Amino acid sequence: MSTTSISVNGKAPDAARGIETQMLPPPSWVDDKPSLRDITDDIARPLEARPGKGWWICFGIAFAALLNLGGMVTYLFAKGIGIWGLNNSVGWAFDITNFVFWVGIGHAGTLISAILLLFRQQWRTSINRSAEAMTIFAVMCAGMFPAIHMGRPWDAFFIFPYFPNQRGPLWVNFRSPLVWDVFAISTYLTISLVFWYLGMIPDLATLRDRATGKIKKFAFRLLSLGWNGSHRTWSRYEIVSLVLAGLATPLVLSVHSIVSMDFATSLLPGWHTTIFPPYFVAGAIYSGFGMVLTLLIITRSTMNLQRYITLRHLDKMAKVTMLTGMIVSYAYLTEFFSAWYGGNLYERYHFINRATGPYAWCFYLMVLCNVVTPQLLWSRKARTSVRFLFIVSIMVNIGMWFERFVIIVVSLHRAFLPSGWGMFYPTIFDIGILVGSFGLFFTCFLLFIRLLPMIAMWEIKGVVGHGAHKMALSSDEDQEEVAVNA
Amino acid sequence: MSDLGKGDQSRGCKSAKDQLVQINGAAAPSYWKSPEELHNGARRTAEFPGGLPSSPTGEETTRRDFLAAMGFTVAAAGLAGCRAPVQNAIPLLVGSDEIIPGVANWYATTCRGCASSCSLLVKQRDGRPIKIEGNAESALFGGGTCATGQATVLSLYDDARLRAPLWQGQPTTWQEIDKRVLASLREAQETKSEIVLLSGSVVSPSVQSIIAEWRNSHPHFRHVEYDPVSFTALRAANELSFGRPVVPHYAFDKARVIVGLEADFLGTWLSPVEFARQYAANRNPEKAPALHIQFESGMSVTGSNADLRVAVPPSQLGLVAVALLRRIAHKAGIAPVAGTQDPLDARKLDAVADELWKYRGESLVVSGVNDRSIQVVLNALNAALGNFGKTIDINKPSLQRSGNDNAMAELVAKMQRGDVHTLLMHGVNPAYDYSEPDKFLDGLGKTALAVSFSDRRDETSSRAHAICPDHHFLEAWGDAEPVDSHFSLLQPLIAPLFETRAMQESLLRWIGHPEADYYKYLREFWRTNIFQRQKEIHDFETFWERSLQSGVVTVPPPAAASIPKFQGDWKAAVDRIQKEAGETRADADKSFELHCYETVPMRDGRHANNPWLQELPDPITKVTWSNYASIAPQTAKKLGVNQGDVIRLTAGTRKLELPAFIQPGQESHTISVALGYGRQQVGRAGNNVGWNAYAFTSMEQGDRRYFTKNIVIEKTGRTEKLGSTQTHFSMEGRPIVLETSMAELRRNAEPGNEPATQPSLWAERLHGEHAWGMAIDMNACTGCSACVVACQAENNVPVVGKDQIERIRIMHWIRIDRYYSGEEEDPVSVHQPMMCQHCQNAPCETVCPVLATTTSSEGLNQQVYNRCIGTRYCANNCPYKVRRFNWYNYTENPKFDFNMESPLGRMVLNPDVAVRSRGVMEKCSLCVQRVQLAKNVALQGKRELADGDIQTACQQACPSQAIVFGDLKDPNSRVSKMQHNQRRYQVLDELGTRPNISYLKKVRNPMETA
Amino acid sequence: MRLHWVFAGIVGMGFAVGTGAWQLSRIGIHQGYTPKQPIAFPHKVHAGDNKIPCLYCHYAARTSRHAGIPPASVCMNCHTILEKQTVEIEKLKEAVDQQRPIRWVKVHNLPDFVYFNHSQHVLSGVACQRCHGAVETMNTVSQVAPLTMGWCLQCHREHAKLPVGDFQRAALGLKEKQKPVAGLDCASCHY
Repeated sequence: MSTTSISVNGKAPDAARGIETQMLPPPSWVDDKPSLRDITDDIARPLEARPGKGWWICFGIAFAALLNLGGMVTYLFAKGIGIWGLNNSVGWAFDITNFVFWVGIGHAGTLISAILLLFRQQWRTSINRSAEAMTIFAVMCAGMFPAIHMGRPWDAFFIFPYFPNQRGPLWVNFRSPLVWDVFAISTYLTISLVFWYLGMIPDLATLRDRATGKIKKFAFRLLSLGWNGSHRTWSRYEIVSLVLAGLATPLVLSVHSIVSMDFATSLLPGWHTTIFPPYFVAGAIYSGFGMVLTLLIITRSTMNLQRYITLRHLDKMAKVTMLTGMIVSYAYLTEFFSAWYGGNLYERYHFINRATGPYAWCFYLMVLCNVVTPQLLWSRKARTSVRFLFIVSIMVNIGMWFERFVIIVVSLHRAFLPSGWGMFYPTIFDIGILVGSFGLFFTCFLLFIRLLPMIAMWEIKGVVGHGAHKMALSSDEDQEEVAVNA
Repeated sequence: MSDLGKGDQSRGCKSAKDQLVQINGAAAPSYWKSPEELHNGARRTAEFPGGLPSSPTGEETTRRDFLAAMGFTVAAAGLAGCRAPVQNAIPLLVGSDEIIPGVANWYATTCRGCASSCSLLVKQRDGRPIKIEGNAESALFGGGTCATGQATVLSLYDDARLRAPLWQGQPTTWQEIDKRVLASLREAQETKSEIVLLSGSVVSPSVQSIIAEWRNSHPHFRHVEYDPVSFTALRAANELSFGRPVVPHYAFDKARVIVGLEADFLGTWLSPVEFARQYAANRNPEKAPALHIQFESGMSVTGSNADLRVAVPPSQLGLVAVALLRRIAHKAGIAPVAGTQDPLDARKLDAVADELWKYRGESLVVSGVNDRSIQVVLNALNAALGNFGKTIDINKPSLQRSGNDNAMAELVAKMQRGDVHTLLMHGVNPAYDYSEPDKFLDGLGKTALAVSFSDRRDETSSRAHAICPDHHFLEAWGDAEPVDSHFSLLQPLIAPLFETRAMQESLLRWIGHPEADYYKYLREFWRTNIFQRQKEIHDFETFWERSLQSGVVTVPPPAAASIPKFQGDWKAAVDRIQKEAGETRADADKSFELHCYETVPMRDGRHANNPWLQELPDPITKVTWSNYASIAPQTAKKLGVNQGDVIRLTAGTRKLELPAFIQPGQESHTISVALGYGRQQVGRAGNNVGWNAYAFTSMEQGDRRYFTKNIVIEKTGRTEKLGSTQTHFSMEGRPIVLETSMAELRRNAEPGNEPATQPSLWAERLHGEHAWGMAIDMNACTGCSACVVACQAENNVPVVGKDQIERIRIMHWIRIDRYYSGEEEDPVSVHQPMMCQHCQNAPCETVCPVLATTTSSEGLNQQVYNRCIGTRYCANNCPYKVRRFNWYNYTENPKFDFNMESPLGRMVLNPDVAVRSRGVMEKCSLCVQRVQLAKNVALQGKRELADGDIQTACQQACPSQAIVFGDLKDPNSRVSKMQHNQRRYQVLDELGTRPNISYLKKVRNPMETA
Repeated sequence: MRLHWVFAGIVGMGFAVGTGAWQLSRIGIHQGYTPKQPIAFPHKVHAGDNKIPCLYCHYAARTSRHAGIPPASVCMNCHTILEKQTVEIEKLKEAVDQQRPIRWVKVHNLPDFVYFNHSQHVLSGVACQRCHGAVETMNTVSQVAPLTMGWCLQCHREHAKLPVGDFQRAALGLKEKQKPVAGLDCASCHY
């Protein structure tokens, strides 16, 4: 698919050469310097043209999965979580596995938009928007699971410290990591949402000015909060984004650290580990970038955006993936080492069981995907082969899901007292709801790339190398465009 | 059974309700002081003519309906938005000083769950019996109960019970029945043809005398006693040996050496509650514990407790007896015993014989094998050891089993010849549990009139002409004499729920007795017989009241007879045993033996419709809701049989297909199959659960034999899932059940094992007035599982069914973990009761986001159901895995069609314990409702709580008194004293959970020589 | 100008949310519930004017978790002698003659998951009025207290804090150690 797309692009040779002959400083992050107008046109195209067959097929599948999710969750609320494969030994399985998995996915977004912004990494410009969108949708999926895994969502409000409260002194248990989760996730969702939306305002303005349909125009006017590209607005804007980036940065680390404490604070062998916070954060970024790769590789070809999401972007992301992947592998090693070195009877048995027990295949699948696969990215060939990267990114996603499954289920199914040991077998509802969560995720994302600019035009315009003065003009130029359109 | 469908049910519920109405009027007076009221129907029904109102649906009985029985019905009349449902409160018209709404009464009665007839104290709340407990005043049973006994209260509320007498399967009136029966009896009189009463062992002296009256009034009347699991051989052997056809009364507490041959006396044999108590008392390592050797084929509860357990195929057990006798006879210098062959390692037998001889007069050899020659040999053995009069009392025998296999066989033959005119059947179900049911049914067809007193349409009664449902024993008057001159009484705790009639009353009416009222008859009988035999009380009324109050009366035995001399022909018996064993010996390697046994949950199968018992894990295999073919691991390997493979067992024409269960310690040539399963007509819960193995019993030399030789095993290729509550049987070398040996204990001079005080970051929790704790003596626990059912009854624990158990979702708050150690062929087993450990630093507590589980100021780990939102985090973080989650709504849910689905069945629920709904976590509360109640009672009595005021349900039920609950802050309480026992330890205390439950190590007491 | 609207909007929304939350939190509280009874029994006349002690009729409150509605026979203890006749008393007598139970309407309802024991409170010297209000002044009884957990705990906390030596000991003549202290543990009421 990548080749086809490249031939469509027609600029493949240059692109390839560009890579062969070391990226020249300052590296250009957009192929064949499009004019500012081209940029606007290219990125706005998907929003204005009718969607292609590819989009409809993807959307059809995703939406079907979403409907299935709705049905199964309704049934779950009606019958109780007995319809899952859970039991007295294994109290959490797919539900919390999916939760942690999706929270992890949600990490790349903020990392790219906030941290890379602070580090002035220009290559983020063409991917940050979609990465942030992905973050939000992923966190939505994640947030769903704690709610449904109780089977009685109408009582979920007990988990919030709220007022007025007729129970006198009864409050929530601030010692419980689940309460921290609630705070962490909701904060993260809010900040990401604001950051994402703020980043879109200038582009929304552009779209407003391009918009032809009445409804579209109205909607974009509303969303762009009356943005006028004046210099004052711009400078304020830059400051706010920097501040928000500063706020968001610690969240990247905090959210998954706290999620990891759901396990680290317990005393279960396999959960009771101090290395979990860094280990989980690395894993999250790893899986996040995996998912970003997956999504962008698809969209850049389906939406013909190879020009903006270049192989060099993919290369960068591959490198991050490889790095975090190796951190994760290191964490795996450390776990086994400390189990052996610590000499704790139960800890030891747990890790022996992890590698030789009934769920060993999950463990080895995880190792294959998270330890072996990233090593292939040492070669630039691999990092720049779109098809290969796509496969890798899928592997990463699978691997990270199984990592969480191994941590949760394998630890639970053989805990301290052998009399309480038992196996977990997923039911159709476990699998259906997992698939359904993907349905939710992709439905949202597909709608996003149809309805909103999936690449930050104004930021791209900043890095195509037309020079700063042009940058300032960009907004005026937008007005010209309007004139032209009108 | 299809005709027990919904319609039938709802009709039942309605009439049940009507009956409940009656309770309000006269329940309390009726069973206590003035029986007239009990029988004065008019007044009862006039109480609430319309019946008590229930919830709007009419049919459904909610938990609130407990208030109903105390004349305090609450009816929910539809919710309107946020308005409160209007709730009505309907008091009695005429108050009674006996029923105070919400206050429980306790009445002594006697268990009829089996013929052992344990003394009970039954809790009656708001007019309903809801909990069965042992009667501590009983000299025999001392306050213990068994699982079956605990569960009998549920059978009272069994939907399958008949609502009225049936004639030819159609409901009819008692007058009608009486008319027809009397006619038939008259006809029998005229034609001089035979009238037979076929009953189980009759333990009731008053019933004996009624039967005697029948003999007088009907010359052609015969009484046949029949037990599906028979003691005929034992009685016959005693007749041969001492001229007394009795079952002796054993004293396991007086023996220093106990040898059992296939006698599961801690689980099912004769009088397990009594024996468990004696046994545990006698095994106390602080004193001189008795040595226990068990020879058996399948692993039984008793075998799992033995110091030395030797697996012997059933056909060879006789040789063990002979081999022991040979050695003892040699030592005693009696005439030598023929033959030299030993069925097993001679050194073992020598060692056992040495021990026996060393403690002669303080030893006891018992066998449950229904083979009179073996029993004769054992009598000779016990006589040679001088155990009679010491550990075996034949002068004050046990009257708990009196079935006669011969008589039964003859009866069946007679019936087939058509020589039986009228057949009355009580407490028997031969169509299910006789070895040749078709013969019996054929005979049954040939009788002019067959009347069954069964409480339901079962395999037998459904083929009888008439069913005259007897009361449940909690509705009935009666008496029992389990052991000579130990009497106990039954009194009704509730007016009959349905149109049933006491079997005794029927019998009295049918011989036209002047006093057809059995209550009066019973009183009269006691006045003329038991009252005369005691000296303390001179006025009968007082005697009667006292007896009813305490439930038990012990009178001095007629005359202290001398110990009879053994004059049995043991030589003949030895020859027969050796001949018979010799036959099988030859082809032992080719074919297998099938050994039928009783399990603790199901016994002989009469309680098959009791979901509590069906769901009770077998103490050894932990399998529920089914029986199976226990097969030795090495044999399974040889035959390539895996767990759950359905195998076909064939002996001639008899076939049985059932799943295999690989049982460590199983004798390698024996397949053990439990009796009591495979009922066809017993009720919704029990129908078609498991497979019926009674066909594999047979008659040999006048005794019913419970094993079959030359069994062929084939694999069918099918597999069956076994609902087991414990799938892993090894401790994986973890310090969970700690063991020590007698030698170790004696060497260990340290005064006590003080609770380790580890440094903790947590604040001290127990700032309350009390600190509740529990100590469990692993050495006393036999694994009998009475506690499990007791807990279920006390705490409204739902039954979830086989499917849920296969998914590891059992709800029991207390489970008994059973671990094996040693090699598969000959494992050492331990039983460990495991419930919430009530940690002071509870891992569950810190992780619950909503504080639904917290540690109370008195050290209880409290679970607040209405606060729980069901994250299950607590269960994940519980190292003991004792938390139970309501995966579904197990109440009022047709998917779980057990007692909590049926309105009648829900009447057993304890109104002081909330019924948990879906999505809520629950667990052992250390019976906090009892704690709170005891505090309140103390407050009412203006006194302090005393040690022993509070007994948890499990503790109360435990026949071996392994469980002790009390206040750890009171230095003199039993439980605090046990904290200083050098055997004390806590499970997983290295995790710093600081449980309030501690255990006492299991003590191994191996034979020095073996 | 614009800003004011925004501000007003925010305030308005805050208010709406606040009241909404308050309303939600009042669900299931039936303070002031005053159902009509089948027989218009005036507590005022009995407990108030004639000073009949509460526990004379509600005798169960001394020993049971339920205060219990008195059986009609208890009413008849007096009303067989008293010749005063009213329509309401007629209803009572009629019920007794016809052996027809009286369907009183329960005023104070606690949810199933709460265990409340009257005797415990009565014996600890808690006055009936403390929870039921001045019943002796009511003709038709109505629910005075909110009967929420917060309300219960308010009282329990006070009394848990009570210094040794208080009305309870006086009422019971107990030794110090035995002084019943209002429990604050969950399991005092929830099991």
